[in-house]
Amino acid sequence: MKSNAVRMMSVAGSLLAASVTVALATASAQPAPLQEGAGVLKDRRIGYVMTHKYWAVYETDGAKTECPQGFNDGPREQFKKLYEDGKKRSIVEAQLKREGDQWHPTTAPEAFVFKEAQGNISYGLNLDGKVGPEDFTSPEGEKGIDNQLYRVIGCIGHYRTMGTINHFENLFMRSYDDTRIVIELTEVDSLQNDDSVVVSIYRGGDGLLQDATGEGFIPGGTQRIDTRWGKEYMSKMNGKIVDGVLITEPVDRVMLPWGVTFGTSGYHVFRGFQWKLKLDPEAAEGLMAGFVDVKAFNHHLNTSWSTHHHSYGQLSSPSQYKALMRLADGYPDPKTGQNTAISSAVKVKFTQVFVQQPEQKELVSKK
Amino acid sequence: MAASGPYWQSKDSTDAEAYVDVPMPPGIQVVQTELEGPVYATAEGKTIYTWPLGGLRNGNAGDRRNSGVSSCDDTIYKETSGYMSPYPPGFLLPELETRRSCEQLWPPVLAPADAKPVGKWTTIKRKNGQSQWAYDGYPVYTSDLDKKQGDVYGGTNALSGGAQGIVRRPIGPPPDVPPELAVVPFRTGRMLTTHKGFSVYVSDADENGKSNCTGRCLSDWDPVVAPQTAKAKGEWSVIERSPGIKQWAYRGKPLYTYVHEKKARAVTGSDNPGWHNVYTQRALPPPAEFTVQDSRIGQVLADKDGKTIYLYQCNDDALDQQTCDHPDSPQVYRLAICGNFDPALCQKTFPYVKASPGAKSDSSLWTVETIDPNTGKWAKPGDAGAIQVWTYRRRPVYTYGDDLKPGDANGDNYGEFNGQRNGFRAFWVRDDYRNNNVGRAPNDR
Repeated sequence: MKSNAVRMMSVAGSLLAASVTVALATASAQPAPLQEGAGVLKDRRIGYVMTHKYWAVYETDGAKTECPQGFNDGPREQFKKLYEDGKKRSIVEAQLKREGDQWHPTTAPEAFVFKEAQGNISYGLNLDGKVGPEDFTSPEGEKGIDNQLYRVIGCIGHYRTMGTINHFENLFMRSYDDTRIVIELTEVDSLQNDDSVVVSIYRGGDGLLQDATGEGFIPGGTQRIDTRWGKEYMSKMNGKIVDGVLITEPVDRVMLPWGVTFGTSGYHVFRGFQWKLKLDPEAAEGLMAGFVDVKAFNHHLNTSWSTHHHSYGQLSSPSQYKALMRLADGYPDPKTGQNTAISSAVKVKFTQVFVQQPEQKELVSKK
Repeated sequence: MAASGPYWQSKDSTDAEAYVDVPMPPGIQVVQTELEGPVYATAEGKTIYTWPLGGLRNGNAGDRRNSGVSSCDDTIYKETSGYMSPYPPGFLLPELETRRSCEQLWPPVLAPADAKPVGKWTTIKRKNGQSQWAYDGYPVYTSDLDKKQGDVYGGTNALSGGAQGIVRRPIGPPPDVPPELAVVPFRTGRMLTTHKGFSVYVSDADENGKSNCTGRCLSDWDPVVAPQTAKAKGEWSVIERSPGIKQWAYRGKPLYTYVHEKKARAVTGSDNPGWHNVYTQRALPPPAEFTVQDSRIGQVLADKDGKTIYLYQCNDDALDQQTCDHPDSPQVYRLAICGNFDPALCQKTFPYVKASPGAKSDSSLWTVETIDPNTGKWAKPGDAGAIQVWTYRRRPVYTYGDDLKPGDANGDNYGEFNGQRNGFRAFWVRDDYRNNNVGRAPNDR
């Protein structure tokens, strides 16, 4: 694990580098002739809407490499080990105690063994620009990949390909417009190579255009931007396009809508957030990465999914919290020194959309 | 923004929902209530409820329609049923020494032995041989929580459903609306929609019995068309926009839908100056110092400092599905969620909303009560450590410690089953994304 100080310095260094890049880019910003891929660009801009998102988990056949001891226990298994000894108990001693532990988790050791993902290959980005002993190598061979979240969730069934979080979080992202994540690239001269573009993140307010199969998404739709309720989800960052791949500089804090069903409208918070996306005129695909705020990550899990749902995928929230805190590797608390965030990556796919900013008008309900 | 505006009606308003005059047995009456509109009540004025069968994750609870059987009897359940996954059955329930039976909490509305069916009213025989009234095939009850006429503390149609537990619902006569329209119960009032669920609006530019929405106006607003056979009745009238085209009007004002609204039960049309959603009746305003704040999917009710207000919901896991959201009920459920049984932590995580000395509200829904914050139970003014708190439907309301600025609603869905089963839900007054469901899916009970 990297030290807190190293993490802080590396993140700060990246941010400094980003600001230098921005300054240089701004100084040299002159309208350039449009280059290849420019046919889809309107006013040097192109938008995309997210259609898929999966916490990045590198999976081998039968999980033999990353989970040689199998997967973790979930709430049902842990409850059985704790309480199925024939002794008569009250609800306070059992069910409510487990719920209390879930809503007020601690880092105190527990009797259950937590199985972290093994191996040194993982998806993700090099968030701190360094190669350290705890870092992974990407499947393509890039060293220095920061994704300690993979260590935590890699052997929890919920997060794997057939896991329920993967299934339902995507299903509900498509079902509910408040989870709509839209990016818009501006100041774009070429989708192939451009040394300076601006990337804005918004919440869109419209449905996705699904094809007749219900599985595919059709480019060319419109997304109206929610600048009223979705203000907190708006971010802006600088980036460049190299050989058709968008790479952005890290930004300190990004909040993304991540609601599911049951009237939930939760979100995730990323620190040192970056995109790496392969662009084409109709779609984009790649990774978003950053340090997820552990407290917010745990809060999202508990408020979005009940213990019943955790049980679908053998996800013990109290055990996962302990692992998150143990492996957290960024953004130390200035008072305690305890890291508050953990490196992570999310595999994402987008479809091209036209981004429509709302007309500014006085709303009665704002008076 | 102060908590007034479009969501509530003034205390001077006389708006009240009209209902269809349906046959009722002797001794049953209709009573107007602030939140639920007209409800059936006993001769003593006690609101009447049913307990329709509903599904939990591992089983069903409630009364099966037309079964002729009441599931609410004199059994005092001792253990959990295991209906709420993932927890198995057989755990001892709290406060067993004082736990009461279902029929003590929900006294059956008894009928004379020779009672005859009237309209939707029939009778069933209870296990002890007594006759009990049933409505629409469901046995009917009163609530031990209701003390006087107009109290509806035993249940509401205006809260969220989902995994809330199998709750009791107040019943009343059907609202007097044409078949093309419907009434949707919100926490802030009873809103008119089309029968397909889309909100209807009125315009300040219209006159009584006359629409001035023509030409370009019609590109944004669709008149709610009335059939050729439509006739005026009560508060409903019909205007003829042009030869052969009729439009419904309510309380004299022509009705429209907003063509840009794609979601049901929306209020976005009311963002246009001069246009208003239509309610048969609205609740009276919350406490004067309360505010309304913009949040991530709409607007929430908040305290004077802008901190979002939360309601606590709870049903236990016994077969009779007793509520545990009230200071009369065991508090260990709430204490587990808000503080892992530590009252001090609880008051930090979800603090009570304290009322200023002498504070009161015009709304019957909002009252100031005295609470012992350490036990969560009622206290008397002057008791050591007792505090005066705001309650909604006589349940204390809360803020959330980790809401750091106005509009934060981070405590929403905090607790078992997204806060529906044993937990906290934000007091949403407007939701632009989830069909104004605030967690309530159309088919939820």
